[in-house]
Amino acid sequence: MTNDPLPSAAPSLARLIQELNKLPGIGPKSAQRLAYYIIRLPKEEAFALADAVNAVKHNIIFCNGCQNLSDATPCSICADPRRNQDSLCVVEDPLDVLALERTRCFRGLYHVLHGAISPINGIGPDQLKLKELFARLSENDFSEMVIATNPTLEGEATAMYIRRHLPNNTIKVTHLARGLPVGGSLEYTDDMTLSRAFQGRQEL
Amino acid sequence: MPAPRTYRCEGLTLRKSTLGEADLLITFFTKEQGKVRAVAKGARRSTSKLVGHLEPLTQGRFSMSTGKSLDYINQVQIINSFSEIKSDLAGVTKGLYVAELVDGFGAEANANPALFNLAVDTLQAIQNSPESEWPLRFFEIHLLAVSGLMPELYQCVECNQDLSPGEHRFSPSLGGTLCSNCLPENTYIRPLSLPALKVLRLIHRGPIAELMPLNVDDHLAEELKSLTGGIVSYWLEREIRSKSFLDQMQRETRGQVYT
Repeated sequence: MTNDPLPSAAPSLARLIQELNKLPGIGPKSAQRLAYYIIRLPKEEAFALADAVNAVKHNIIFCNGCQNLSDATPCSICADPRRNQDSLCVVEDPLDVLALERTRCFRGLYHVLHGAISPINGIGPDQLKLKELFARLSENDFSEMVIATNPTLEGEATAMYIRRHLPNNTIKVTHLARGLPVGGSLEYTDDMTLSRAFQGRQEL
Repeated sequence: MPAPRTYRCEGLTLRKSTLGEADLLITFFTKEQGKVRAVAKGARRSTSKLVGHLEPLTQGRFSMSTGKSLDYINQVQIINSFSEIKSDLAGVTKGLYVAELVDGFGAEANANPALFNLAVDTLQAIQNSPESEWPLRFFEIHLLAVSGLMPELYQCVECNQDLSPGEHRFSPSLGGTLCSNCLPENTYIRPLSLPALKVLRLIHRGPIAELMPLNVDDHLAEELKSLTGGIVSYWLEREIRSKSFLDQMQRETRGQVYT
């Protein structure tokens, strides 16, 4: 009984509810609301949604260089000759690339790992795009690699793993500074962040 | 009298996962209530006062409020962030192995202060000697003891006779050591050397500080690791997820030491 989303619904509607229910954070009630919202949408808007899902599944691939999600390989960043080809920034997720691009601070190339080492969740180095990273570092002559994994236990473990397994030691390896967030407060800052912020203090 | 809406507890963060737009779902093991899963509202925002206080392997004092299905974390005061463990890959790997086992053996709404103290003491020992294997062996044996699953190391579990020096066998499902005369059928049995039995007894008896200077050869270290890991995995009734990465790290460290 629990597998049937809505016993009295038309089969096509029940199927839509069932599919929406599979999305993260969408429970059976939300799935029903979304399904009825889609039914009430004008046809062209509903088909645009279906087309977008279809297109993303057909066109999105991993870029051979940075392993980011893209509809072409190399992706627009890897193929851009104006980018600094000597500098590589390693991030956990495609969304991190977007966040860094918004800052306009970094004009080099990226490498997306698609996660971080998390032994407790069974995610080891083999589940990430680390082999591709090490191959890329062997084949290319980067002068600097910025490790921009999240400042979490998993992100730090991934950074330490990369540092330990570097194929060559000639590359300069840096990681993003740890410290106080803009709008934060010293009183509520944890000990590790505060001590690292203190170590990384700068002359005014 | 209704239960109070707020309460305080001392806990060790074991794992975290994202919840909704900006929340975190934190699993931690408390001294007072056993395992607790609670929501940290807005903790993924960089300006949240909880940021940095809820990383796994952080011991803290938690201010909580009760919710309908899950409780909420209002404030955390850090007691020990085990920062040296977190800045060493071997330490992180071992610490997360400890956290996974506390998560697996700890029960919700079931206080086990001995398990809490054991976990904190083990993390302290790992922090003091990140390359040593003894804290993990100590933790595995004492984890079984504080969970009421300590294997029998002095008498044969089949004939109840005192064990005499010699080669023995071990069966996790029968609950301990077998003498050389007993060979029950249809049970998984593995050999147990006399030195391994003696070290197991020493681990069980002694404080962790007594173990640290102990030197054993690679063969015996491997036998102990395989034995204690096997017993823990048997009672956990599933594979220990962090073990494969832990094994990989140990192989690499050994490779560096001996090459």
